[in-house]
Order: sequence, then structure tokens, then C-alpha cells
Amino acid sequence: MIVDLHMHVDHIPALGWKMEADLAVRRMDEAGIDRAVIMTIVDVPEVNPDALQLVKDACDEFPDRLWAFARVHPWYGDQAVALLEQAFAMGFKGLKLHPVSTIAHPGGEDTLRLIRVAAEHRAPTLFHCGDEPMTTPLAIAKAAAAVPYATIVLGHMGGYFHVDEAIAVAERYENVVLETSAMPYPAKIGEAVERIGPERVVYASDGPVCSPLIEVEKVRLAGLAPADEALVLGQNALRLLEHVS
Amino acid sequence: MIVDSLVYLGESLHGPSASADDVLRALDAAGIDRAVAVPARPPGYHLGPANDALAAAAAAHPGRLTGLARVDPQQSDAADALGRALDGGLAGLFLHPWEETFRINAPFVDRVVAVAAERGVPVVIAAGYPWLSEGLQVGDLVGRFPETTFVATNGGQINISGLGQTDVELALTDCPNLSLQTAGVYREDFLELVIARYGRERLLFSSHFPLFDPRLEVKRGQWLHLPDDVKADVLGANAARVFGL
Repeated sequence: MIVDLHMHVDHIPALGWKMEADLAVRRMDEAGIDRAVIMTIVDVPEVNPDALQLVKDACDEFPDRLWAFARVHPWYGDQAVALLEQAFAMGFKGLKLHPVSTIAHPGGEDTLRLIRVAAEHRAPTLFHCGDEPMTTPLAIAKAAAAVPYATIVLGHMGGYFHVDEAIAVAERYENVVLETSAMPYPAKIGEAVERIGPERVVYASDGPVCSPLIEVEKVRLAGLAPADEALVLGQNALRLLEHVS
Repeated sequence: MIVDSLVYLGESLHGPSASADDVLRALDAAGIDRAVAVPARPPGYHLGPANDALAAAAAAHPGRLTGLARVDPQQSDAADALGRALDGGLAGLFLHPWEETFRINAPFVDRVVAVAAERGVPVVIAAGYPWLSEGLQVGDLVGRFPETTFVATNGGQINISGLGQTDVELALTDCPNLSLQTAGVYREDFLELVIARYGRERLLFSSHFPLFDPRLEVKRGQWLHLPDDVKADVLGANAARVFGL
């Protein structure tokens, strides 16, 4: 079973980006993906106060294929916490944070507060983890250290230039999971599995506009043992999501 | 015919390194017919001998390898070095602002680009590097040489949030003599957008071996959601035209 832990559904006219649920499912079918987690591109309550409903509607359209993560802006304090609680009440499976769009540092108290809420629901927090300030592995490590009982997923596992740091951070913090999307080096997936074990590396695509077909192929080219590949492509994601309450 | 429009050949200061035999094996493993090669930055920093070695490798494999000359435009003899390399059989100019540490639109770059312009050979730019070769910086240089063909690596942008894509589009709009390569590009829909908005002749498959894996990178071209004849242009015909293969 293949599970994609990071896909998007949203419509951003200002950027010309349109990612609809049926496109996500078509791309999943193309790549042989059974289930995926979707999230918006923008954050709730800004830029879209209806972002939670948008994602829920998409999941309701494909109830056997899509799960939801809530992308919440940490700056909104009690309102942000309430929105995250609302998301879990709506059946969401996790929290997504993108410090490029929120300008909220991963180690900042506003952010940690949301991570704690997610952890209390036994839900993972997925960070955009790339090359931009406030998204690097060492920045997100501050959150992993501050909330050691939370599962912190490094989406893109460091992007283009910070992959080695992402693996090093995952070695340092056992609550860190590496997520493979868009990072362009198949061999680094193999290196990550070797260094931190196969249970803390998860496949994702950042689709539908990043090709899930190519992203699955990237994992296949990593040269993993069949049992490890099965963990990375799906079983690890299922384990991360199975106890979310 | 599939043409990889950029591989690195020779011992690299930054690693990894690849010999001619390594390159040919990688091409074979990915079903690629031939490649355009540039010298890696050698540990001794001297690009002249690296250009000579590349010219020899290209001469030894005439149906499979074509070489471009790499110079550091900050060196006072860079224009002469380029002229000698072109006389020695290399087919164009390659500039790497990140590894040589210069701004691609700095005035002194014109001295070497003028040689390429006068000789009628293409210029390939290692693009998308922060502060040194971002989309509009590349466009600023390209606009000064409207009769010369330029190719920007990495889709002109290296950003796993997609934040550089708008600047690249503006450069493509301003500079019809600018094309992009596919290696490592974040979001396959950006590649499809380049074709749709700027023309099928402006995208060239590349792998950047040994930094990236050609077996994965070739899929970015082969699995585009485009007609086969358009993909054939991306995978080979465009490179054949640009580099005179």
C-alpha cells in the first residue's frame, strides 16, 4: 500500500495555482497511490478563513482516498488553537506548518503551542523543511527539542542544500521523521534509511503539481530492501496516522 | 534521440566526481544517447586543464559527448581562455556563478559572453543560486546579448517553495533567447507551463550527473503530460539545435 503524506488542494488565483481534488486523485491513480494526505497552500485563518472546510470538502468527495492536515497560522494565538481543535473534531489527521508563508519560527512559542495541541491528539506536525530561513532542519530542530513527545516531520527533508543537515537532525532527535517529497536525490533516501532506520523515513510527493509518479520512482531508485521500501512508501505513514484522535 | 544537455565531467572540488566512462555508463543506464558535458570545478581550481581534458574526452567519444568550456570571468585572461578552448573543439561557454562566486549580471561577465556571441556559440548558466544567478539576474545578462542563445540550468530557480518561478517567467518573457533545463526542477507543472506559455523550443532535458541521477531526471521529460512530439523536442531535439549536434 502506498500512502502519500503530502499533497495539496487549493486555488490561489494570485499565483495562478489551481490544485483540485480530482487532479490529486488522478495523479495518485497514475502513480499507484492508495491514499494521500491533503492540505491547503495557504493558512487558516489567513489567507483563507475557509481553508479547513475546503480541505474537508475535498476529503468528503474522495472519502476512501484522502485524509486531511490543517495548515494553521501560529500568530493567531487562541484563535489558531481553536481552529486546530476544530480541525481534529472534523477528522483531520495532523498539522502542517510552512514558515515561509507564516514568518513564524519553528521554535517560537506560538508555533510550539500548536505542536503541543497536535501531539495531544497523537497527530504529527509536518513542516516545510527546505533552504529558506526559518525552514531549515536546524531551525525545526528547535521545535523537536522543545516538544520531544511530538512527532515532527521534515517535509522535503531539507530541500536542495540542507539534506545532509536533515539527516543529522533526525539522528539527533528520535521524534523527527524525514519526508521525501521534491528533494531531488534518490541516494539520500537510501542514506537516510541506513543512518536513522527505515521506520522514520516516509514517502510523499508534494503533488499533484509535483509528480507523484516521479516521486514514487525516486523512492524505487533509492535501492532499499523490499521490506524497508514498503515501510517508506506506506506503512510508516499509516503508523503515524493510526492513533490520531 | 535523447540528449542530456548537462553533465559534469572530471574530478570535482565539491564532489561527486565522474570520469568519461562514468558518464557513459550513467547515460546507458538511463537510455540516453548522448550528452553535453562541462568540466567540474577541479580541486586545483585551474579550469584551463579541465577544459583541455574535457575536449580530449569529447574527441574520444564524438558521437556521445560534446563539451562546453568553463571559465571564471573574474580572471583577467578569461576571454582568451575561452577563445582557446573553443579553438580546441569545445562548443560553447559554461558559467557557474555559485562555484566561482560572482554575480552573473556583473559587468565583467560581458567580456567572456562577448566572445561566445562573436563565435556564435551558446552560453549555459548555472542558474537559480541565491544572490548570484536568480531568474532576473540571469535575464539582465541575457538581455544584453539578444542575438546569443542562453540556457539556464535548474529551470532557472532552485527553491522548493516555488518562490523563484515568477522571476523566471519574467525573464523568459523579456528574453526570447533564453531557454531552461529540467534537472531537479521543483514542480513538474512548471515545466509544462514553460512549454505552454513560452514555447516548446525553450525547455531542454538535463540530468546534472553526477549530482543528480539520470535515471530519475530523464523521467521529468518522459513523463510530462504533453504530446509525444513535444516531449521529443524537450528530450533531444532542442538540445541538438542549441548545441549544433
